[in-house]
Order: sequence, then structure tokens, then C-alpha cells
Amino acid sequence: MKMLKAIIRPNKVDDVKDALAKLNIAGMTVTEVRGHGKQKGHTAIYRGKEYNVSLLPKMEIEVVVPDPLADDAIKAIIAAARTGEIGDGRVFVMPVSESYRIRTGEMES
Amino acid sequence: MSIPTSARGADASAQSGAMRAAFEAARAELRADVSRGAGGRASLERYADRVDALLRQLYQDAGPPAGPVAVLALGGYGRRHLCLHSDIDLLLLFGEPIGPDDERFVRGFLNPLWDLGVVVGHQVRELADFSQLEEDNPEFLLALLDARPVAGSRDLFDRLGTAFHVASTHAFILKSLLHLIEVRHAGFNSTLYQLEPDVKEAPGALRDLAATRTIAMLTDPLLLRRGPADPARVDAAEDFLLRVRSTLHLESDRNHNVLSHELQERASEILGYPGSEARTRVERLMSDYFRHARIAHRSLEWARRTAPVPVGPNLGLSRDGIRFLDQVQAARNPASWLGAFQAALDTHTEVSEEALSCIQQHVDRYRADDFFPQEADRRAVLRLLKPVPGLYDRLSEMHDCGLLGRVFPEFQAISWRVVRDFYHKYTVDEHTLLTIRNLERTSIANEGSRRRFQSILAGLAEPELLVLALLLHDVGKWRDDDHALESVRMAEEVVARLDLSAEQRETVLFLIRHHLRMSLVAFRRDTEDPDIVKDFASFIGTEDRLKMLCLMTLVDVEAVSPETLSAWKEELLWRLYVDTYNHLTQRYGDELIERNQAELDHVLRRRPEDLSEGEITGFLEGLPQRYLQLFSRDAIYRHVRLARDIKPDEVHLFLQSDGNVWTLAVVTLDKPFLFSNICGVLSSFGMNILRGHALTNPNGLVLDVFQFTDDEQFLKLNGNGQSQVLHVLEDVVSGRSDVTARLRGRERSVLKGVARFSPVVRADNSASARYTILDIVASNGLGLLYRISRVISQHGCEVDLVLIATEGEKAIDVFHITKSGVKLTDPEQQALTSDLQRTLEDTL
Repeated sequence: MKMLKAIIRPNKVDDVKDALAKLNIAGMTVTEVRGHGKQKGHTAIYRGKEYNVSLLPKMEIEVVVPDPLADDAIKAIIAAARTGEIGDGRVFVMPVSESYRIRTGEMES
Repeated sequence: MSIPTSARGADASAQSGAMRAAFEAARAELRADVSRGAGGRASLERYADRVDALLRQLYQDAGPPAGPVAVLALGGYGRRHLCLHSDIDLLLLFGEPIGPDDERFVRGFLNPLWDLGVVVGHQVRELADFSQLEEDNPEFLLALLDARPVAGSRDLFDRLGTAFHVASTHAFILKSLLHLIEVRHAGFNSTLYQLEPDVKEAPGALRDLAATRTIAMLTDPLLLRRGPADPARVDAAEDFLLRVRSTLHLESDRNHNVLSHELQERASEILGYPGSEARTRVERLMSDYFRHARIAHRSLEWARRTAPVPVGPNLGLSRDGIRFLDQVQAARNPASWLGAFQAALDTHTEVSEEALSCIQQHVDRYRADDFFPQEADRRAVLRLLKPVPGLYDRLSEMHDCGLLGRVFPEFQAISWRVVRDFYHKYTVDEHTLLTIRNLERTSIANEGSRRRFQSILAGLAEPELLVLALLLHDVGKWRDDDHALESVRMAEEVVARLDLSAEQRETVLFLIRHHLRMSLVAFRRDTEDPDIVKDFASFIGTEDRLKMLCLMTLVDVEAVSPETLSAWKEELLWRLYVDTYNHLTQRYGDELIERNQAELDHVLRRRPEDLSEGEITGFLEGLPQRYLQLFSRDAIYRHVRLARDIKPDEVHLFLQSDGNVWTLAVVTLDKPFLFSNICGVLSSFGMNILRGHALTNPNGLVLDVFQFTDDEQFLKLNGNGQSQVLHVLEDVVSGRSDVTARLRGRERSVLKGVARFSPVVRADNSASARYTILDIVASNGLGLLYRISRVISQHGCEVDLVLIATEGEKAIDVFHITKSGVKLTDPEQQALTSDLQRTLEDTL
């Protein structure tokens, strides 16, 4: 299993969700996050005063998928979240060694 | 006092002799009582009754009056506390205008009294005199409260009561009484422990007891039962003080009320205090005096503290909140109910349970229109909706007692309405009220990220429109389909009932129709994309709407559930606001009205007969597109007319007022220093400019629209004020007169100590394609715009567009400028901004 952690633009959540659903990936965790990568924020000016907006609002989507699905899922996320501009985000891929269902206690492979 | 009937009709001297004998007999009787130490309430009342009989006899003897007349006892005599040398205060009340026959009657009535040596304090009035409150004579009004009919027409007395005993008069008398008490007490250094007390006037003396009873009578007749002293003890104190006063009158043989050392000895003897030595008797008398005076004093203090303070017509502020002084009257007058909630907001308290029950009991009898029948009532509804601390609580009280749903039946439709979704945690009505609570909290947010929204709210000219929109934004949820459209349909009825102006209606309906739009763009669209912001800005049109919709979104999302508005969402919303605001204020000069534009078509199609298509397009073409969004069609047509046949150095203007705020539209032809001259002229008349727009079209036609307050009431106090302003404007614009000279004295007087924060000046060439944008934020003060724009003109710059706004003490101005038709170079910008900075800091 792989855990995919995607940091994406807030307005792309629905697109990404839809794209993953098409791959029959239903379970996911969505979190409102703030941060910056290469985009590093920018300076906003309001009424002549500069405001440094260093941490930008982003969405984080976490999904755990079976190994064979991981590549397709990554591609789907990238395709759905991409605008081509700086600030489109990242996808991190992490191995997941075990997973348990809390209700039953059983381990899932 | 009985006067033998046989005396009637006998000769005058026999008659007056009998009367004198009867009067003297009554006084002798009182003297005897007082000498026995029994000159208390019972004997004084008996004496008053005897004088009553005498007056009735005199009334009869004076012959039948021409019209209805009533003789009324006032003040102490009205209360039947008539001491030996008290003045006999009378009101001779006539039902009709007083004629010569009536004057004869008055003489016939009063002359014999004077002959008897009675000191009469009399007033002769017509009933019609009481149709208006005599505010300059509160003592007379107080005496009238004790009015008692002695002779003549009882019906007239009742009619006086109807005219006199109204809530507003009672409120005025109460206020005056509280003031009189304060002044009187101050005269005694506010202490009752006087070695030689005045038993009538001193703190704790008879007047205090009368005042306590009056306060109770005016506010709550049962007040005394709840007071610090048992009513019987209050009565005992009064009887004691009256007995003492009676002995003073007897011993001094005049209207003397000071219990001096010398009289203390006599009084203690007469009142039968035991003790072989005078000193012992006096000590006992005085300790009794202080004991009773303390009761009187405490009772009054308690009544002053507890009694409802009048805060409006039929409204009093008491410890349990705002109360109706007269519930029966309140029940009949639903238009006064909203006043109770306004009074609670104004005095930072709640509406009392008693008043809420009264409303709840009667509310079903009335329809929406009954609550605001007059124009003033409709304005009061809007005023009530200003977002101030306590508004949520008051609206909740109104909702709980059924009033809110009666005033706005549309709101009733969502009462306890449950809509099941994943997000909302409250019924629709509570969600709605919570949006208003959130706005109210935003209005006082002093720290953290919310403060930036507070500054937006502070800049709204009519925040009550936003509250009205919030109140109605979800009323369409009584149905299950698209609620925003249904809410708009229902809100249309409300704004029509409230008789809002066309602009106000459009604002409220726009906010309701699009209340979900900004959250959609902020949270679901890529706001990094300039086109998204541009589209949103052109959809919004004006900063005012942007500000309102931004706040509406903030408080609406926050009212869904405690978790819905995260810091993350707040940030997204704020960024969309800033980007859109910048677009609206900095780029609008790039988007000009063009022929064949849909909005232009709209203006042309509905034009009035006196305006030709050519005239309108000639005026509009080349003005920024936002002009069409900023002004109503009527205003646009007015501006076109102002521009008609304008010649160099001419000024055409239109001035109108809406409440405290004036709007001035000026049309003229452009020339250097024009904007600064116009601002200077307004400042020279003491006008405080709040907001405005300066626009220039490519043909050099200038339209400036200012909203200002006339702080020195120049326009109000001068009938020809408008033409004076026009003359001065023409003189200054044509160069015949110098505005600097007009302003010199004023600037000096206002520049001292006005600045409260350091000014911000920023020039930017990247925001607009055509202009250098100059953002200025500074402390607002008289002549500020004049000083700024004069510096800009001194640098040889053209001022094409200006946006003027204020938020409380803060002035926010955006200038679109060029120099010789192009943007300023970097060195030019630097020179200008540092000069401006210096000018603004000089005013620090």
C-alpha cells in the first residue's frame, strides 16, 4: 500500500476528488492547510500598505491506495490539480506497512 | 367651615364678615391643635377641608361664570397638607378662551380671599394651554401632579387630567424632579444632619417625602411597598415633620420652616418632650428629627435609584431593563414597541420581562404595517438594525416574544425551521440571528485577524442595510428549492413596506440574491488567476457592495457551525477581498464606457424626454465603466443635464441632503488645480467630506460627486447657502478668488492635534495601464483633500480620477494621476510621495 499526500490548490479539491472516484478510490482525508513551497507567498498591498502573505492557503488530500493503483492515482491527481502556474502543489508518496480497521480490529492488506 | 345659608344674598359686608369669622375659626382650631403638639396630618387635612369649603362658598358668591371653570388646589394644598402660614396655591382653569366676563369672575373670586389676608398663589389658565408641555416651568408641572378639584366643573378637571397625564409629560416631570432634588440637596451640602434644619427643604425633610411619592406615582405606584422602610414608618416620619413644621409656623407666626436653636426649645416643649431641662428636651426632639429624616432620605434615595429613568416616550430604564411606564398605553401603540428595543440598545441593557410579556400578550392583534405607520417609524426600524453590541440579544428577545415575526412575517416563515445537511448546526432562524451576532462582534473586534474585517465594517455608510440583508438572506429556506431566489422575492416585499430608496433596495436585494457568490469564488475558484478576480470585481461593481458581501460571507459562514469558519477560510476570503478591492479602486480607469455597451443601452432606452441620445453618449463615452454601477439612472440623467452647455470657468452644481449627509454633484471643465480648489471651497465652509468620486472624460469634462456633513450647519442656517457655495466655487474655479486665503484661518485652527496615526502614501505604476495610482491613508481632517491635491497639482500632475472614502477617523483616498498625459517616472513618483508625506506629517 502507498499513502499519497497531495498538497493542492483549494479550488482543485473537487476535481481531484472526482478523478480519484473514477479510479474507485473513495476513502480520503481532506485538510485545510497553510504553507509554501517554491511559490513562497507574495506581497499583497492593501491601501498603500504591504502585507507579506508568506503562508498560502492550500488543501491537503491523503489517500491510501493498493500498490498497483498508486501510479494511476498519482497521475490522476496531477492531471486534475494542474494549472501550469507556480503554486500547483506537490504529491508525496509514502509506503504503508500495515493498516487496521478500528471497528473490527482486523488488519487489511 | 359652614357658612350660614342666610348669609347668602345678604349685604356684602355681612357676607364677608361671616366668611372672615369662619376663616378665623378654622385657624383658631388649627392653632389649638398645634399648641397641643397635634399639628400633624389629621389637623392639617381638617384645616384644608375648611379652606375648601370657604373657596366653594366664594365660587358660588362670585356668580355663575360664563363658561366652565374649575378651581383646583395645587402642591401642598392639593395634598391637603395645609399649614397655618402655607400659601394657598390655586389653579383657576377655564374650559374656553377667557373673556371679560371671566375676568370679572376671577376678581369676584380672588378679591375676598385677599381681603381675608390669605396668601394666595394663583394661576389662571385655559385648558388649551395644556395641549403643549410647558417645559420652562417644571415646578408648576410638579404642583399640577397634586391637583385636586375644590370647586366648579369636575368634568373640566377630568379633561385636564386627560391632557396632562400622558407619558411624555410624566417623563419630562420625572427628569425635572430628579434635577430639582439634586440642586436642592446641593444647597444643603447634601447632608440631612443639619444643626438647624429646614424641615421643608433640607435633605430628609418634607419635600423629600413628597418627591418620593411623586417618583412612585410617575413610575411605579407600588414602588414604596418595596422600599427600605415600611410605608407606615414613612407615614409616621411625615406626620412628625408636619407637626414640627406646624409649631414653627405657630411660634414664628409666619411661613418659617427652619428649626433654629431657639425654636427647637419651643418646639420640644409644645411637642411634649419630657425632661426637666430644655437641653434634654431639645436633644430628644432632634434625635427624633434625625431618625425620621433618615427614613425620608433613604426612601427617596431608594426611589431615585430604583425608579425607571425615562428614556423615551412611555419608556423607563429600571434595574430589570427597559419598561413601559404605562402598559395599557403601550398595548394600544405597537409603533412604540421597537422604541423599547432601541432604548435597550442605547442604554446597554435589556428589555424587561414585564415589557416583553406585554408585547407577547398583544402582538397577535397587529399586522406588520402597524409597527411602522409613519416615515419616522420606518427610519427607526433601519436605525434599530445598526450593528452594535447587544443587537443579537435584542433581536432574539423580539423573536422570542413574537414581535420579530410580526414586524417581518417573512422571518416567521423560518421560525424553528430545520434544514438537514452536513454543515448547518442550528435552525434557520437561529443561524440567521447568529450571523448578526457575528457581525456585531466584528464591530468591536480589536485584535487578531478579525480586526481587518472590523475596519471594513467601520467604513460602511449604511451597515444597517447589511443587517437587513442578513435578516432576510435565508427566509426563502421555508421552501426546499433554490432559497436565494425565494429569499429575494420575499425581501422585495419587506423593502417595499419599509419604503427604502431605490439604491437601498438594490443593495439589500443584491446582497441577498448573491449571498453565496463570494464564498464560492473565495473557496472554490482559483483566486490567483487575475481573470477570476477581474470577473468578480466587475460583477460586484463598487467597493461598498464588495465590503458588504465580504462581511456577509464572513458572518454567514461563521454562523453555520462553530468549526466552519477556519482561519484558513478567513484568509482566503480576505485575500479575495483585497484583490478585488485593489482591482476596483486601481484599475477602473482602464475600463471605459464604450458605444454599444449593454449598460449604456439601458440608460439610453429609458432616458427622459428632455435628453437626447447624443447628449447622453457625449457625456458618458470615455468615463470609467464603474460610473454606470456607482450611480442610479436618475443621478446619471441629472449629471447629463448639469453638463449641458457648460462653458470654461462655469460651474454647474446640484445639492441635496438626506438626513445629515449632503450630496454635491459638480460639473465643470478641467483645468490645473481644479480638484484641489473644489475641495478647498467645501472645507472653507466647514464641510467634512466623507466620500466621493472625481471623474474626468476625454473631452476634459469633470464630474465630482461629494458626500459630506455640514458640521457647522452652514447650509441649514443660511437660506441662500446653496447659492453662496455656488458663487464661491465659480469665483475660485475661474481664478477670481483664492481659496488658500479663505482657508488660512481654518487650517490653523484645525491642524492642531488632529493626527492620530502616521500617514501612508504609496505610488504604483503597475496596477493600471493608464495611470499612476496614488494610495493615501491619513487622519481625516478639515481640508485634507485640498492639501493633498494641491501638492499633486503643484507637481504638474493631472488628477483624472479620485476615490474618496472615510472609515471613522481615517481618510482613504485613491488618486489616478498622470503627468503630461503619461504615468509618472520613478524619480517623479519619489519626489511627489515624499512631498506628500511631508505635507501630511506636518499636520501631525
